[in-house]
Amino acid sequence: MSPDLIVALLAAAVQGAAPILFATLGEILSEKAGVLNLGVEGVMAISAFAAFFVCLQTGSATLGLLAGGLAGSLMCGLHSLVCQVFLGNQVVSGLALTIFGVGLSNYLGTPYVGAGTVGFRQASVPLLAQIPWLGPILFQQDAMVYLGYLAPVAVWFLLNRTSLGLGLRATGEMPAAAAAAGLNPQRLRAFGVMAGGFLCGLGGAYLSLAYTHMWTIGLSGGRGWVAVALVIFAFWRPFRAVVGALLFGGVMAFQLRLQAEGTNIPSSLLLMLPYLLTILALVFSAARAHRAGRNAAAAPAALGVNIEPEG
Amino acid sequence: MAGRESRTDIGAADVLPEVRLVGVTKRFGAVLANDSISLSIMPGRIMALLGENGAGKSTLMAMLAGCFKPDSGHIEVEGRRVDFASPREAIAAGIGMVYQHFMLVENMTVAENVLLGQEGGFLLDPAAMHAAVTELSERFALPIDPGARVGDLSMGERQRVEILKLLHRQSRVLIFDEPTAVLTPVEAEALFAALRAMSAQGKAIVFISHKLEEVLALADEIAILRRGRIEGEFLAADVQSPADLARRMVGRDVVLEIGREPMETGEVVLDVRHLGGPGLDDVSLSLRRGEILAMVGVAGNGQQQLVETVCGLSRPRTGEVELLGRSWDDFFHCRDWQGALAWVPEDRTGLATCGSLDLTDNLLLTTRQGFSKGMWLRRARAREVAREIVRTHNVQPGRIDLPAWQLSGGNLQKFVLGRELLRRPRLLVAEQPTQGLDISATEAVWRRLLTARADMGVLLVTGDLTEALQLADRVAVMFRGRIMGQFPTGDAARVERIGALMAGLSE
Repeated sequence: MSPDLIVALLAAAVQGAAPILFATLGEILSEKAGVLNLGVEGVMAISAFAAFFVCLQTGSATLGLLAGGLAGSLMCGLHSLVCQVFLGNQVVSGLALTIFGVGLSNYLGTPYVGAGTVGFRQASVPLLAQIPWLGPILFQQDAMVYLGYLAPVAVWFLLNRTSLGLGLRATGEMPAAAAAAGLNPQRLRAFGVMAGGFLCGLGGAYLSLAYTHMWTIGLSGGRGWVAVALVIFAFWRPFRAVVGALLFGGVMAFQLRLQAEGTNIPSSLLLMLPYLLTILALVFSAARAHRAGRNAAAAPAALGVNIEPEG
Repeated sequence: MAGRESRTDIGAADVLPEVRLVGVTKRFGAVLANDSISLSIMPGRIMALLGENGAGKSTLMAMLAGCFKPDSGHIEVEGRRVDFASPREAIAAGIGMVYQHFMLVENMTVAENVLLGQEGGFLLDPAAMHAAVTELSERFALPIDPGARVGDLSMGERQRVEILKLLHRQSRVLIFDEPTAVLTPVEAEALFAALRAMSAQGKAIVFISHKLEEVLALADEIAILRRGRIEGEFLAADVQSPADLARRMVGRDVVLEIGREPMETGEVVLDVRHLGGPGLDDVSLSLRRGEILAMVGVAGNGQQQLVETVCGLSRPRTGEVELLGRSWDDFFHCRDWQGALAWVPEDRTGLATCGSLDLTDNLLLTTRQGFSKGMWLRRARAREVAREIVRTHNVQPGRIDLPAWQLSGGNLQKFVLGRELLRRPRLLVAEQPTQGLDISATEAVWRRLLTARADMGVLLVTGDLTEALQLADRVAVMFRGRIMGQFPTGDAARVERIGALMAGLSE
């Protein structure tokens, strides 16, 4: 492989990683607050459409991005309502959210299939883009990728260096302790779920605004599920999520390149590669957690458990 | 507030109560949990709230802590009427509560737990948080490592974290819900010292308990709660003896001194010789029909491993275990349900019963023989027997269709004991059989065990020395997997030395 090809592949990997990273970080926020959200796939699908539609109507990619995030928050607000107010099962509600989201986005999007939109274009960072190797890989991307560089830091900071994050983690571990400390676990959970939904929404928006620049059916392509798996791979840590997203983005870029080069390997097998990797990553992290004892895995203790009302 | 000084003289008229409950009433459905309760909590005093299980102690304190509101009546803090809508408001008013089940996040550090909800700003500064907790722990002599993960701490240390949480919130009233239930005797002593120190600094302390000795040792004032009403309020100095206090508490005479007549011993039912393995070190003991052998010691000194081996959960590594004259392998290879081994585990709701199953199903859990016909269960017969157990053992509320979790600890334990005795075992292993039980339930369980030993040998594992000395014919003291001493409970001189043996000093 020529150096140029490697640089192109790595740059594509970074681009492929961005939507997964947003979604993974969003799911980490939600799960740290104690709510398992299996609806990421549906949330991303809806957000991708909302972002595409608003961008198409207003011509503003930024407004589109915002719409994607808000749509994600709204969708997850629904999940929060079902689980926190009506005490619905989090797994069932999440699955329903996925079916609903994917279905609705396909329905709403049918008239627009094939339509293009402005979205985000490549915007090189001055100076940094000139660095050999690193420049083309990291700094000749679109604005949303740069946002993606900040996101893990922001999520880490929120969780570990703010009182809000401390309360959020306490709620995910032991809501009763948070309540006894005078916090409002229900509100903290709702915040975690909806803030996480906003991030998932950004991931969805990335697909239509920066990845394809057009609307097609099935745009989310299982990325939401990958994000859910990567949360476990990342042991609920924002920075490890970056590693997972890059791995996934890398394999995605690699198989696309292989397809473009025209190999003898059937394309359906190649398309399988990223998901195969996801399974391997999960097996690897489960084995590692098993070896390191319970603490290393560190799933929030109250994950998936609804807060029952008193009395 | 003017006029409030850190005086501890209750007789002085100028000391205002820190908190006053005025005619507080709370009802849950048909149950009147608290019936127009009035109580004054004074600064610099330790008040014990004494009552049997279900007397309404926890409900009363939960209202003080802002968990829910009284149906009628009100609470006054420093003479002003308050109306707590949430625990946060109670905390802000200076009332803090240490729950029986700690409200701590195991996966966070000590400092994070102490400062949760009190960070004093949006941004966190870990170094400053550590410093604040260190300072606090030094000021009140409650040593703790602020960076340690709470999940790695002992129960005594976790309780210290809970206390630090309250102290950090500048709580002036500290409420403890059965604080010694999870502590070792040494940790309990340390807690008492800390409580006295806090009270000396002007804090008002309330502790809920049903352990008479500890109430008498610690409290300045005692309030007795019975069936939701205050049945007495007096100074601890006015109480003559634990028996006197017990009488005031249950409203009738309870024989705390339970008469134990020696019994003729029969054949050996359990013979352990040089048992070793993880947590066990050369344990030898034998138990005959007609006697109770109490294993005492601080929890975690090998008692659990011994019980698991005797009950067949783990195979003896080295040494021999003989049950009813058969080797361990032989005995557990083809075990009889009838007339063999029964186990009353410590974990009443996790191991002994299934919370969501009713009493009939819980009976069938360990006792299927006689209730099956081929592959079919004879449920009608099982119901009959369950009803019989409920009647003979006075299990309240006397219904067998209730799920086990709805029974109070004492009633559930009576049911479990009845179920296990049903099979007429010849060897009974009872682990902490009266932990968390009120006096009348304790008495019932004790009496059952004493009469049961006519037909069996009882291995009693307990952390309660009183229980051991009241019930057992012989006592064995465990420390770090070894038996430090084994002697009849009538041997006063050696009984005196049990504390030293529990601490590892050999005879």
